[in-house]
Amino acid sequence: MKRHLLGLFVVLAAAILTLDAQTSNARSIPRTPDGKPDFSGFWEHPQRPGAAFGATTFDKAKLPPFVPGGEALFYEPRTGDPRHDEPRAFCMPSGFPSNLFGPYPVQMVQSPKWLVMVHEYDRMTRLIPLDGRAHRDVEPTFYGEPVGHWEGDTLVIESRNFKRWSLDDYYYQDRTQYRMHSEALRTIERLTRVDANSIQYQITIDDPKIFTLPWSEDLVMRARPEWEKVGLFEFVCAENNRCPGGNCSEVLPGR
Amino acid sequence: MRTVLIAVLGLSLSTAAALAHHSFVAEYDGDKPVKVTGVVTKVEWMNPHIWFYVDVKDEAGKVTKWGFSGGSPGILQRRGIPRNALKIGDVVVVEGFRARDGSNNASGGRVTFSDGRQVFTASSEDKAPGAK
Repeated sequence: MKRHLLGLFVVLAAAILTLDAQTSNARSIPRTPDGKPDFSGFWEHPQRPGAAFGATTFDKAKLPPFVPGGEALFYEPRTGDPRHDEPRAFCMPSGFPSNLFGPYPVQMVQSPKWLVMVHEYDRMTRLIPLDGRAHRDVEPTFYGEPVGHWEGDTLVIESRNFKRWSLDDYYYQDRTQYRMHSEALRTIERLTRVDANSIQYQITIDDPKIFTLPWSEDLVMRARPEWEKVGLFEFVCAENNRCPGGNCSEVLPGR
Repeated sequence: MRTVLIAVLGLSLSTAAALAHHSFVAEYDGDKPVKVTGVVTKVEWMNPHIWFYVDVKDEAGKVTKWGFSGGSPGILQRRGIPRNALKIGDVVVVEGFRARDGSNNASGGRVTFSDGRQVFTASSEDKAPGAK
């Protein structure tokens, strides 16, 4: 009996300490005047905790089973034609989520109605409304249509209306094929500022034309306040586009 | 005729390495390190990747032009490498990895100046010289 009581006490004490730590973290994070967590500032792109600085690609082990025909939509072999294989090689966009997962800084600027997320690579700008609006019936785009809402201290961003495009930088590891998403892609990002130095960043991929189930990755965005001094650098890919229109023969290397 | 064919083939292969934004794995061979000493002839400090060109003279005096691709200007400047770090006329040792197409293009990872200073010009994605 005594042992049971002691066990109960230990569990209760641990729960109180955890709760206290969470409350203290919730108090220590920066907030906007309306009391919401403030994501404004400079951040590393979402990465696995402790990962070496580089592009984040989705973990193959986490992928759910494919729907019939889904695998052929997901893995697309490279053909040797840059117009098909390397859209970014002639400065076409990376699209979302691939762009955000590239190893470049992210600046966020927040107001009560909007979160502005700018990624240095190609100056990708996401304008995320926070005013409670619904998704619209819009043309599919490379970056999709993000809409945000708050669930307590967590900002939930749901994006829809994507073009079919590459999902991530998987071909950095396997140069024989791409990983694509379909136009049915829906992403759900959950951003929680857990302390002054980090955002817990969870992304869910829901692509019913490819996968039987949605799946998620838990990543982290680390604060880099020292980048504020210089800010983001300009990034105009077309400045040194060595493959205009996918036609590499127009530019000779070593000129 | 045969010479012309070979020249045309060589051209089409070598131009494949001139992609704007590229994947290191797709374009460069991490198993083919290269180290050259030469004179910087041109610097393109531009997005999405900087390129710089080095004239390398062999013992017989024959000059070969090498093109090296590096990170973006923003990534390099944040790493403390200013835009004027590489100047025309600088004598440099460049270490990197050769393009898969066999051209004289390479990923330029590490540059050593004649006074011993070193800068790492590789993109965050690229394999660094000496890395396993």
